[in-house]
Amino acid sequence: MIKFILKGIFRDRSRSLFPIIVVIGGVMLSVVLYSWMKGFEKDIVRANANFRSGHLIIMSKAYSGNSDQMPNDLAYIGCSDLIGDLNNEHPGIIWQPRIRFAGLIDVPDENGETMSQGPIVGLGADLISPSTIEPDVLNLNGAIVSGGLPLKAGEMLITDELAQRLNIKPGQTATIITTTMYGSLTTFNMVVCGTIRFGIAAMDRGLVIADIGDIRRGLDMNDAAGEIVGFFSNGSYLAERAESVAESFNMDNSGSGDDFAPVMYTLLEHSGLAATLKMYKSVSGVLISIFITAMSIVLWNAGLLGSIRRYGEFGIRLAIGESQGHLYRFLIAESTLIGLFGTIIGTAFGLLFSLYLQEVGINISSMLKNASIVISDVLRAQITPTSYIIGFVPGLAATLLGSSISGIGIYRRQTSQLTKEFEA
Amino acid sequence: MLLIRLAIRNLLGAGLRTWLNGIVLSFSFLAIITTQALLKGMYEQTSNAMIAAEIGGGQYWHPEYDPYDPLTLQDAHGKIPIKLEQEINTHQAAPILIIQGTIYPNGRIRPILIKGIDPEQEVLNIPGGTLAQDIENIPVLIGERTSKATGLGIGDYFILQWRDANGTFDAQDAVIVQVMKTSVQSIDVNQIWAPLDRLRKLADMEGEATIVVTHKDFKENQPAGDWIFRSQEYLLKDLREMVRSKSFGSVFIYMLLLFLAMLAIFDTQIFSIFRRKKEIGTLMALGLTRGRVIKLFTLEGSLQAAFGAVIGAVYGIPLLALFARKGWTLLESTDSYGFALGEKLYPVFTIGIIAGTAVLIFITTTIVSYLPTRKIAEMKPTDALRGRLM
Amino acid sequence: MRRLIISLTLIVSAFLLIAPGKPSGDYILRKVDENIGADSKTSDSKMIVAGGRVTRTIEFKSWIQGTSKSFTEYLAPAREKGTKMLKLDDQLWIYTPQTDRIIRISGHMLRQSVMGSDLSYEDLMDDAKYAEMYSAEVIREEVYSDRDCWVLKLTAKEEDIAYYSREIWVDKERFIPLKENRYAKSGKLLKYTEVQSVSKYGSRWYPDKMLFKDALKGGKGTEFVIYRINFNTDIPDYIFSKASLRK
Repeated sequence: MIKFILKGIFRDRSRSLFPIIVVIGGVMLSVVLYSWMKGFEKDIVRANANFRSGHLIIMSKAYSGNSDQMPNDLAYIGCSDLIGDLNNEHPGIIWQPRIRFAGLIDVPDENGETMSQGPIVGLGADLISPSTIEPDVLNLNGAIVSGGLPLKAGEMLITDELAQRLNIKPGQTATIITTTMYGSLTTFNMVVCGTIRFGIAAMDRGLVIADIGDIRRGLDMNDAAGEIVGFFSNGSYLAERAESVAESFNMDNSGSGDDFAPVMYTLLEHSGLAATLKMYKSVSGVLISIFITAMSIVLWNAGLLGSIRRYGEFGIRLAIGESQGHLYRFLIAESTLIGLFGTIIGTAFGLLFSLYLQEVGINISSMLKNASIVISDVLRAQITPTSYIIGFVPGLAATLLGSSISGIGIYRRQTSQLTKEFEA
Repeated sequence: MLLIRLAIRNLLGAGLRTWLNGIVLSFSFLAIITTQALLKGMYEQTSNAMIAAEIGGGQYWHPEYDPYDPLTLQDAHGKIPIKLEQEINTHQAAPILIIQGTIYPNGRIRPILIKGIDPEQEVLNIPGGTLAQDIENIPVLIGERTSKATGLGIGDYFILQWRDANGTFDAQDAVIVQVMKTSVQSIDVNQIWAPLDRLRKLADMEGEATIVVTHKDFKENQPAGDWIFRSQEYLLKDLREMVRSKSFGSVFIYMLLLFLAMLAIFDTQIFSIFRRKKEIGTLMALGLTRGRVIKLFTLEGSLQAAFGAVIGAVYGIPLLALFARKGWTLLESTDSYGFALGEKLYPVFTIGIIAGTAVLIFITTTIVSYLPTRKIAEMKPTDALRGRLM
Repeated sequence: MRRLIISLTLIVSAFLLIAPGKPSGDYILRKVDENIGADSKTSDSKMIVAGGRVTRTIEFKSWIQGTSKSFTEYLAPAREKGTKMLKLDDQLWIYTPQTDRIIRISGHMLRQSVMGSDLSYEDLMDDAKYAEMYSAEVIREEVYSDRDCWVLKLTAKEEDIAYYSREIWVDKERFIPLKENRYAKSGKLLKYTEVQSVSKYGSRWYPDKMLFKDALKGGKGTEFVIYRINFNTDIPDYIFSKASLRK
């Protein structure tokens, strides 16, 4: 019977084409919407993860209690061993040491004496090792206003606003003044290799980003870091995995009672994002269910239309003696196949489009005319396992519902009236 | 007129199908409106909270004041220009004195801003009333975030150190008299609030201030003496940018919702034209021009949008009115700290949003309804009468 | 005649020392200033800073002229070696060999701690005479560290002085302060110094080992040791110039 139906679907385009196109379109929209909402959610997480908390963050216990003060005297010492162990225990998570500090930047005149000076917040991250993910994580390419990224030791990025205020350009050298992790005054020269802008006033005011190697030398923090941030290598925050990694790590490291023992926090714990995310999830949940309901109605309607379209055909088939039950089952089977085809093709198209939106995204920097670039100027979708199955709800279920309701009409047709109908 | 009557009759005659399309359109309609209203609500609520608690109608800054460079605070205080004194006396402005201080939670040095505010001021929505206490220790108000970061709660004593206008060290015990819950971070993080008069005395800065915040209805924007005026617009710039970038993401969702509705309309139109060939032929035979037949079918499609709007209004108006009144509860617990803000998000439905969305949907529906009808133009009435399409 | 003057002086001072009326606070303060102050000083000293994790020793050489000029060169640890600071009135310049730069440090920075110690740059460079800044009053007598002391209460004469009042324990015989408390305007104790040993340099006694402690902050405080000090030596003027920072 399936073979017969398939033949029908392929040969009679009026019977199949429109219903399938509608199902494909509807399923595709559902998949794209779902992935887009997930992408948006990921974006909220990403902005917090990339600049602050990572997906996981390790600090010394003492540091974590005062982390807003960037207390490098409490930083964790022994990062390479710790990261080595973590890499063995948790493959699939990329760990990056970071150092934050507050200080001054001092720009010299031609005699090497102070010409201008200003307060800064510094960030040391791995910018130059070949395998580093930090420039992408921090969206440095998107933030560049002039010059380029640091390619070698001794180079730093400063915000465009700072560069203008201090009257310094890429290629020039400035001195960073801050304190070492042991409290000594320290000064070191860095070459400005580029200027950046993130579009967030607090950052644009006085952020300096340099390779962590330089910052470690400058702050006397050999093998130390204020924070070690971990990112899942697929780029998405996996809440359950993060919780279990943090729990087992803290179990292993809690015994010592040492104030400088490392403590791990998940993104949600550290950033206080849980409430925001919860709210977003309920908003997106409502939107997705409205959308799926609406889509189901559309496909139900399409199923309805499909059956009415073939009013005449069913009449003839009833007239030549096909039983009503058989015809009804036939209709259901046919719409199941149409729904299945449509859903599979629609999901494939939807995933393809979502993949494009995930990898390439929509760049909104041009829409934010001469305003500032935001931390992430590219909006992206995110494909999750649910993206693969979400389309089946409207695609298959609704199509089936539509044809089973409209198919009831078959039972209302009376054989005695059939010939009359054709005369009309 | 005839066409409209005919179109309405046809639409109603289609029964369930029309209802389904109407419901889908109403969903899209309401979802787009609500999303926009939530975004608008978010912006208005946050900016209103900032205006109420921090910005007022704009701020006058001492020429040395730079909120991003705490080191400059040492010099960023001075006598208030006379023009502003008058505003302050009539409660149209409130002076705030900001000096740098140090506290020692757990034996660690922690720099903190000390902000002096008049407990009687009526310009900002800061619960400073509790600061009007004549007690030996300095009464201090802090925000919840600072409370959490420092571990200080109501009734806790701590040593507060600062340097007066001459650079002389001073320190006193202070006591937390209130912890306020506020959605406005910039009146909370890393700062404490003390009574203005007392702070002026302690810092040896009689009659001085760092900034003067004007009442939110303040209209003027001229500098006062060498004090710089920072307008509401200037102070809200960051927030505006943030909401703007967020709204781009939602535009994509509107588009998907519109696509969805249009899919329904398009399918219905294709079906109508396919199914009603004989009718089209009959109408043409009766003397209706092709143009008028196209108009009729397009009108039927666009009326779907109007029908969707009516359905949407029937259940949407009470639903959204309730939503706008009850708001969206963001946090589970509401507590009794001074003032509560930001626990609920209230969507803001404006005529602009509703009318704009309606026009958008109506136009799109009309275009989508028209597209399939072009087939009619290619029909011969004779073929159509026989139920043959092309 | 000369003998008479000497004996008179002796009598007068003996009277001042042991007579029922105590010497005035201001008098004692002047004596202290005479003893520990000098037109110029050169010294080698070290600071031992007990941090949370490690204890660091910082060694430096200083040249001080009057109350407004000072020059410091750091000798150890290796990271700090070669760092030089020049203070002229309230301006401070720092030279570090790492940067080969002369950096002007603004007034705001002077209030920060020196090398993580319990001393600020202001504290370290504050070499003004007590008597110029404070008026004194003897509030009691006390044995401190096995020495008879006067306890003086100092109150600021002028407004722009970092510590509004101090209490110092002055050795009755040697006229050196053995303990000092520094107070806020409110009377709250902010910092204290305890002299742990004193030595005689020529005719004068001078504290050569002391502990500085920020009373509000946790930690063990900063130990300050002088191993060599010369008074009233001729310091060439070029020392107190920016050119000598780079030398």
